Amino acid sequence: MSALLELEEVRAGYGPTSVLHGVSLSVPEGEVVSLLGANGAGKTTTLRAITGGVRWTGEIRFAGRSLRRMHTEDVVRCGIAHVPEGRGILTELTVEENLKLGSHLRRDGAAVRKDYERVFEYFPVLRERRRLSASTLSGGEQQMLALARALLMKPKLMLLDEPSLGLAPMIVRTIFEIIRAINQADRVTVLLVEQNARLALDMSSQGYVLEVGRIALKGASAELKGNESVRHSYLGY
Amino acid sequence: MSVLQRIRTAPPRYWLVGVVILFFVGLPTVIDSFQASEWAQALILAIAIMGLNILVGYSGQLSLGHGAFMALGAYTSAILAHRYKMDYLLTIPIAGLLTGIVGFLFGVPALRLSALYLALASFALAVVAPSLIKRPVELTGGVHGIFVPPVDPPQFAKDAYAAVTGTAMTSDQWTYYVTLGCALVLFWLAWNLVRHRAGRAMRAIRDGEVAAAASGVNIAGYKTLAFGISALYAGIAGSLFGMAVGYVSPDTFPVALSIQLIVGAVVGGLASIPGPLLGGIFVYFLPIESNQWVPTQTWIPSQIASTVEKAGPAVSYGAVLILIMIFASNGIVGLVTAGYARVRRRLRGPGDRETGQTSPDPQTV
Amino acid sequence: MQEFLQQVVSGIATGGIFASLALALVLIYNAMGLVNFAQGEMAMLATFAAYTLINRGVSYWIAFPLTLVIAFAGGIAIQRIVIRPVERAPILTMVIVTLGLATLVNGLAGFFFGYVPRSFPSPFSAQTVNILGALASYQDLGVIAVTGVVLLAIYLLLQHTTVGLTMRAAAHHPEASRLLGVRVSWMLALGWGLASAVGAVSGIMVAPILLLEPNMMQTIIIYAFAAAVLGGIESPLGAVVGGVIVGVTINLAGAYLPFVGGDLQLAVALAIIVAVLVLKPNGLFGRPTARRV
Repeated sequence: MSALLELEEVRAGYGPTSVLHGVSLSVPEGEVVSLLGANGAGKTTTLRAITGGVRWTGEIRFAGRSLRRMHTEDVVRCGIAHVPEGRGILTELTVEENLKLGSHLRRDGAAVRKDYERVFEYFPVLRERRRLSASTLSGGEQQMLALARALLMKPKLMLLDEPSLGLAPMIVRTIFEIIRAINQADRVTVLLVEQNARLALDMSSQGYVLEVGRIALKGASAELKGNESVRHSYLGY
Repeated sequence: MSVLQRIRTAPPRYWLVGVVILFFVGLPTVIDSFQASEWAQALILAIAIMGLNILVGYSGQLSLGHGAFMALGAYTSAILAHRYKMDYLLTIPIAGLLTGIVGFLFGVPALRLSALYLALASFALAVVAPSLIKRPVELTGGVHGIFVPPVDPPQFAKDAYAAVTGTAMTSDQWTYYVTLGCALVLFWLAWNLVRHRAGRAMRAIRDGEVAAAASGVNIAGYKTLAFGISALYAGIAGSLFGMAVGYVSPDTFPVALSIQLIVGAVVGGLASIPGPLLGGIFVYFLPIESNQWVPTQTWIPSQIASTVEKAGPAVSYGAVLILIMIFASNGIVGLVTAGYARVRRRLRGPGDRETGQTSPDPQTV
Repeated sequence: MQEFLQQVVSGIATGGIFASLALALVLIYNAMGLVNFAQGEMAMLATFAAYTLINRGVSYWIAFPLTLVIAFAGGIAIQRIVIRPVERAPILTMVIVTLGLATLVNGLAGFFFGYVPRSFPSPFSAQTVNILGALASYQDLGVIAVTGVVLLAIYLLLQHTTVGLTMRAAAHHPEASRLLGVRVSWMLALGWGLASAVGAVSGIMVAPILLLEPNMMQTIIIYAFAAAVLGGIESPLGAVVGGVIVGVTINLAGAYLPFVGGDLQLAVALAIIVAVLVLKPNGLFGRPTARRV
């Protein structure tokens, strides 16, 4: 299976502070890969580097094409949907307008309409609150909106930054089920950043563990789950 | 330290200041009286710009209405001198003080305005000011303004001047020296202000109001103080302006004047002491020089020449303002200090790199 | 009563002119948090463009939309060339740049067209028509109609098209919009183009009344400021409502208050600005915003 996304020796930082000190990872097409690590390890920075939100050196390739020096909006237009930390909901706009911004680049009208139907099936609350301002949604509902919007972009790769953050366990379960469905039904590759290691490893086929800006461990998720240090540091037992 | 020691160890920029002062003191002896009046007006603008700089450059509040403060100072002096027959020189500090108080009072509601709204409101004030001046006709002379008779130099000045140059001092030259004296005092005061606590407080406010408040700086106090001081400077400048030009009328204080002041502040260099001086000279002489240069170019047809005369300054002002903000937002002073710093680094050589000493804030002159 | 109604109708027409320029200010404020001090001068230059077209024999109703297109292009050009270099600079810097732009545009207009006031044609006759017992001139009604149509078009564009949606998204949430593939920088340029076109409408409508010359818009911009501040600087609806209120107020003040002569109407605008900023700084439709630390 070819790698849809490849990072090679990526270094990145904010001004004088360096956060990533040479991160290499690859995400095979069609898989869910998790990126784990403690706070400050550089998980979010890794995702931001991919979509051009932070300067980086090294190499990042998507479907064989280098993303060096590309503006965020152009990286996204290649087929990458990035749901950032904090979800990136446009609170000045309505729920419907947020969704429309997900599909605004697509030209396949009939398929778009079908996708809207699917999205409303997954998240009925979004249909109910269509015309309301997105700022009226709860945390869980905003996460659903962000995911729905990403789905409407019909991306090849989805970058999810801490989708479970701040959400009640029931909602988290729903969301992760839907992520799994998106991965399997739509064949969307997912790179999942999560502090909740158990959830992430359950969802993914492979995992990377980031520690202080470097990949400390990598392997199949099943193996990582059994790994001593992973268990101690991230799984709590 | 004895005085002699002090002189020997003074840093080079103090020598530069001394040279500049000598230049200005001696200037009228080598130029004619009319030119002295021109230089006086440039110095007047420099004083107003210095005041504006304290407000904009040091305390971060943008006022586009300082022309109105100049008008207030000018009319105060003119009315006191014309109606109440006061000695003109006496009216100068009174005008300054009055304008300063008004400015301070303006500063109070200004506290509630964001930088943008303050700019907007002060701009509106500048546009409306001429029509407000015209209204109380008995007081201000309405459209015709007030005539300010020339101020004769006092005997001691005449004697001193005659002793040095052998010619009689004209009232224009006396105006020049009065202006120069005020400028020296006011610049010196400004220099002290920014070096000490008030200056630091203002800069802290400019750079981050919330952080400054958290550090215990009295935001309201310093911001209104900055307003008052800048208005005082503008008032004195306006008063001197009446003396230099010989009359005040609503049309001598259009909104273009407020724009000129901000151009001068930015071009010279915000948050610097020499900046306003350079800015005043630039703003005053640019239209004159371009006006004098264009008609001499015979290849420019006369209609173009006359529209350039009217349009020229605006085009150059506008272009300069934009270019400076894009490329050199610290103005001429910024360019000079940056260039100077680069030259010094090259001259110093590797020695200082080991000590790791950082150069002091280039804006504290 | 009749005269009162006439003054009101006249005031609404004037208000439409203010509203167009105020809307331009609001569009740019929403996009960048900046008040464009050059908006009036840009409108004046666009009006000169219209004048040139009409002088060359282009009919008014073709020259009008053509001028809007020219103004649109000009607005984009200005954003790309002058504003983009200072995009990330502090607000003070950007304000000074727009001041420089205003001075420059004014000077250029003087340079190319001179300072002699010129008469500018109006497509509406000065005849009056009887409405509800009051006399309203076709001129006033025409201005109301034209500005109404333009403002409606802008509303439809912003609220009901994809382009309008992406412009609004880019203005309020630039970073999040980038992650959705929105070309934020171009949206900003489009915003400037749109604002410039809307502002041009106010110039074209006011030129027949004030006579066309480089300093024509210097008072109109103050009224537009008053309208925008009154309506709430971030609210397009506020700009329209504010414009109408300012227009009617200064008309009535000029007609019924004896000491408010022609030039003191401007002082009324200043009074409105000051009153709003002191009493209700967010205007009628604005929302209080939290200050970013």
